[in-house]
Amino acid sequence: MRRIVLCLALLAASNAVLALEPGPDPVPSVMWEFYRKQWIKDEPYRFDARVKVVAPPFAEDARQVPLLVDARGLPGRVRRIIAWAELNPLPMIFDYQPGPEVSPLLALRIRIEQATPLRAAAQTEDGVWHVGSSLIDAAGGGCTAPSVARAQPDWEQRLGQVLGARHARDGLQRLRVEVSHPMDNGLQSGIPEFFIEQADLFDGQGQPLATLRLFPAVSENPNLSFESRTSGPTRLELRDNNGNPFQAVLE
Amino acid sequence: MRAILLSLVLATLPAFADLDYRLQPRQVAENTWVLVGSTDNFSRDNGGNIVNTAFIVSEAGVVVIDTGPSLRYGQALRRAIARVTDRPVAQVLLTHHHPDHALGNQAFADVPIAALAHTREQLAEEGDALAENLYRMVGDWMRGTQVHLPTLTSEPGLHVFGSHRLRLLAMAGHSRADLAILDETTGVLFAGDLLFHDRAPTTPHSPGLDVWQEDLARLQVLPWKIVVPGHGPVSEDATPFEQTRDYLGWLDTLLGDSAAAGLDMTEVIDAPIPQRFEPLSLTRYELVRSVSHLYPRYERARMARIER
Repeated sequence: MRRIVLCLALLAASNAVLALEPGPDPVPSVMWEFYRKQWIKDEPYRFDARVKVVAPPFAEDARQVPLLVDARGLPGRVRRIIAWAELNPLPMIFDYQPGPEVSPLLALRIRIEQATPLRAAAQTEDGVWHVGSSLIDAAGGGCTAPSVARAQPDWEQRLGQVLGARHARDGLQRLRVEVSHPMDNGLQSGIPEFFIEQADLFDGQGQPLATLRLFPAVSENPNLSFESRTSGPTRLELRDNNGNPFQAVLE
Repeated sequence: MRAILLSLVLATLPAFADLDYRLQPRQVAENTWVLVGSTDNFSRDNGGNIVNTAFIVSEAGVVVIDTGPSLRYGQALRRAIARVTDRPVAQVLLTHHHPDHALGNQAFADVPIAALAHTREQLAEEGDALAENLYRMVGDWMRGTQVHLPTLTSEPGLHVFGSHRLRLLAMAGHSRADLAILDETTGVLFAGDLLFHDRAPTTPHSPGLDVWQEDLARLQVLPWKIVVPGHGPVSEDATPFEQTRDYLGWLDTLLGDSAAAGLDMTEVIDAPIPQRFEPLSLTRYELVRSVSHLYPRYERARMARIER
């Protein structure tokens, strides 16, 4: 009997989760279900305009498309944000886990191969994924265009150079960095994947602030903006898929 | 029944029936004619006729300034010239390498086509990609259009065609190689895309807004009476100069201030556009483009090396 009650209780609980109504997809696309199953799996989700996916209406340069994901409007803490460009040959953009001292906001630049929905799914501490969406038009070819950085003769000397700046904004710190790296996505004939896959932030005491995984949809010479509450020095630790470590400190 | 079907089929094909640029040359000075295009964006309605082209009927033949966006436009321009004069075309002068100015070249394949040395390089390198993009934007109007490269290098200085003394000036602010032409005989200044009038300037190949501003300062003091901008209406006063310089100055300040404040591109694209630019078309569209072209330079100027 107790087992039956337990089963019923579990059933009710899973029903409650399944009962979460995702609402209408603001940018319906053929690939949505495929990627939802891959990354959100059977976890509860809803389409949620409070997760802002900000991009220009069209890609002027499909190799360097600005994208800002801002989940600050969600109630409660955001523990993870994943973003993808749904019709890209390599859709995944980033997997971000901001700690409590860092805002659930990330700006960067990406490559897109054609007009595509852009998605960012932000998971709050109750386990629910909030999916923000937008649509971008493009002439195309951003993923298969040759790297500009690699065409410059001294690109290897500049590999891992980091430019950075810190800006006080609305009582918070905007941290901006640009890293010299070709971010080869493997779609160029004869050039294997070579990209920065990890970019983590630490505070002055070496405590982790945020963990960021990057994917080859991120543009060459990655340009990243974070928002943090801490005002002391911030260390950025990067690693590419060849194991090269790079480090930078924003004082 | 067949007649009904046929008329139904025809009714669904209006877009294919009428690809006519209806070019109307307008005389702006002695022997000098301008074909003024729309200040809208490229579209399937206008076939890319968003550009100003011009011709001067000299005693030594017709000098054509820019050839338009397509083979079809080039051919229409040639017919429009023939309606005005029976003199032969002596030479084409290209102001710069952008597709709306140079893709009508095929219709002038039998005459010398001159462009600045770097314009020739740019057309050879980027022409196909630029043409491809126009095919995407205006469609069937482009049919048969291919890049036809210039055959001569324009040298700055005085070039005489009959009674017309043309002063050629090599500049760079809009596209890294911009030819401005002052007809000292009539006082008409053909500024190419160094000047926009009632339309937001475009910046895809600009080496920097400071370079562009210096070019405009140099041009404005020339002894011109009538100015033909690359886009927008012909003017007898300095309005196109004032508009272009004001807009570029605002853009420069916006990008600089935004980089100093640590804004990301998406935030700059959203910046308010001052009301005084309301008469200009396509301001938001061009701001989106210009941020993509220019903002990285402003950002880097505000950053320092921080790697350890």
